[in-house]
Amino acid sequence: MTTTTARSPRAYLLRATALAVTLIVSTAPTVATPALAARVPATVRTTPTASTGPIESTGPIEGTGPIEGTGHTESAAFPVSISSADGKVTIPARPTRILCLSASATQMLYSIGAGHQVVGVDEYSTWPPGAPRTKFTGAETNAEDYLYLHPDLVIFAFSEGKVIQQLKALGIPALLLPPAEGFSGVYQQVDELGLATGHEAAAQRLDRSLARFLASEQQRAANAGRGRTYYIELSPDYYTATSKTFIGAEFSLFGMRDIADAASHGGSYPQISAEYLLKANPDYVFLADTVCCKVTPANFAKRPALSLLQAVKSHHVYGVNDSVASEWGPHTVEEFVAFLAHLLRP
Amino acid sequence: MTLAPPEGVGASPKPLALKALREPHPERHLVLRPTRLRAWQVGVGALFVAGCAFAGVLVGPYDLSPLEVFTAIAAKLGIAGAHSSPLATAVVWEIRLPRVALGALVGAMLSVAGAAYQGAFFNPLADPYLLGVASGAGLGATVALVYFGAASASVLSSVPVAAFLGAVTAVAATFALGRSRSGARSPTTLVLAGVAVAAFFTAIQTFIQQQHFGSLQIVYDWLLGTLATAGWSQVGLVAPYIALAAGALYACRRLLDALSVGDEEANSFGVRADRVRLAVVVAATFGTAAAVSVSGLIGFVGIIVPHTVRLLAGPSYRRIIPLSLLFGAGFLVLADLAARTVLSPAELPLGVVTASLGAPFFLVVLRQARRVQ
Repeated sequence: MTTTTARSPRAYLLRATALAVTLIVSTAPTVATPALAARVPATVRTTPTASTGPIESTGPIEGTGPIEGTGHTESAAFPVSISSADGKVTIPARPTRILCLSASATQMLYSIGAGHQVVGVDEYSTWPPGAPRTKFTGAETNAEDYLYLHPDLVIFAFSEGKVIQQLKALGIPALLLPPAEGFSGVYQQVDELGLATGHEAAAQRLDRSLARFLASEQQRAANAGRGRTYYIELSPDYYTATSKTFIGAEFSLFGMRDIADAASHGGSYPQISAEYLLKANPDYVFLADTVCCKVTPANFAKRPALSLLQAVKSHHVYGVNDSVASEWGPHTVEEFVAFLAHLLRP
Repeated sequence: MTLAPPEGVGASPKPLALKALREPHPERHLVLRPTRLRAWQVGVGALFVAGCAFAGVLVGPYDLSPLEVFTAIAAKLGIAGAHSSPLATAVVWEIRLPRVALGALVGAMLSVAGAAYQGAFFNPLADPYLLGVASGAGLGATVALVYFGAASASVLSSVPVAAFLGAVTAVAATFALGRSRSGARSPTTLVLAGVAVAAFFTAIQTFIQQQHFGSLQIVYDWLLGTLATAGWSQVGLVAPYIALAAGALYACRRLLDALSVGDEEANSFGVRADRVRLAVVVAATFGTAAAVSVSGLIGFVGIIVPHTVRLLAGPSYRRIIPLSLLFGAGFLVLADLAARTVLSPAELPLGVVTASLGAPFFLVVLRQARRVQ
């Protein structure tokens, strides 16, 4: 019985330490914060809707929007073998009933034209708006829950328990695509999904178009971010991300330096002390806990001693949607990179 | 145990029996031997707290010399001639001092509540979370975090209030349910009711947590316990409850000694065991609920500190209660210092430190005590 194992704080400790790294990036809120939306140029702004209508093919960025499924197959030779984070996975035939339990992978699938092969996405997959959302979170403990959809490929962002083993026993291939480390991790996952779904060429086109987009945004900022330091807050108790993560790579693109890198022996997503934040005194503060924890630049400044931060004094504290630090799909990455370029440009 | 008959009773017993009466009875010796708290013991405890607090205020990732730290405190206190930069003053006064103060308050409360529960329930495994405080507080905090969100910077944040209410509700439920049909509350029925209530509250908490997967991480952070966001507002919020609760438990120290002979014997000296237990539960619950409402569920302190004190200073609650208060305060300040310096500037979860620092030390003390016996 799971409830009794979690009764003592020691039991929580064991469960939580095992989960800590995966959980910190698996929080995927669903609301766009006005703070971010207001600063993003109109061309990249999207309005999340609950619409379940047909998927529009006009994406926010030219070339990486959701591609309408045409049903035509590329010349991929199935079966294919993919080295997933969970070991080697063999996909016997081109999947046509994909269950995607990762908001980031959902963005990738729809951007490479595999959307028409998707039969279900998790409740945190908000983009594209028309994706067939389910109540699943990816934290289900029984693979049987998924079977009513008759999936022939299940994609996870993290793995808890034995669900992947259960799926394997049922003969359903399962891919584990954990939080990407840098842009290379994003490209690699796009390629893996291209291979897994029979859209290898489209996956490579997406990689190239994403790389082009990043380069053009980098140019737009014209080195204005070079050497500037930042702190990205993931929760009000000072959990943050180092530059080794995908969100860190988005800042590194502009030459910005992460104050959390000094704490990288605490993992890629370490907790720092408020005192260290004061010592590092970053030029920019990004609050990616506006949804989970209702943090705002105003209440951030009211925390003990933080009114002395340079970023607070110069109004360089920005509330952003929590998803910027928990989703590494091309849509979220492009939206945040565009926001940063807009913010930094001279 | 039998009470000694008054002098003169049995004027002409057999010589051997008379000798037996005069010989101190081993058990009576144990109970009647004066076990007052010694001044030196308090002195050692106070020095320990002071030492840990000094270390806590002096050490941190922001480089400040001890002189700068004391100058900052002096400047804040308005002592003439002391000048300190605003940032140094803020680091010492707004970040380090409240963190040390909150650690001391929470550590003292958890330790003294653990000691009192161990005495009131004759249960060496009793900890401050025995009757459901932790699961009640966990449910309250989870509800607040999931449904209201919480900027933990704000003193008006709903989390401490919800955690406190949850904790008190859980213990009240334990007390209401933990009585036999005759109306008597034995320690055993209370502890078992506590297990049931804790399981029930944890079940609801787990359910809410699973339903709101997006909040899982902040819920876990809270459950693990941290002093990373400590500020004077939290110190002010809980200090009155903890002072009252610790004071009440301190006042119960002799009664806890009386309970150690068993309920019936205690009743025969005129100590109402059930009332003492009620007083201990009420005081420990309010204090522990206040402590965990701002710090989260810090484990192990409430077991390890009272047992270490007991092994070093003897079984009398006249010593265990006040010394647990002091050593608990120092221990948690020290554990928090480790939590923020071992991987500095990264932080470790405080619960990891209390267990990994406390458990080996506790085992050493246990071995030493066995050797002495």
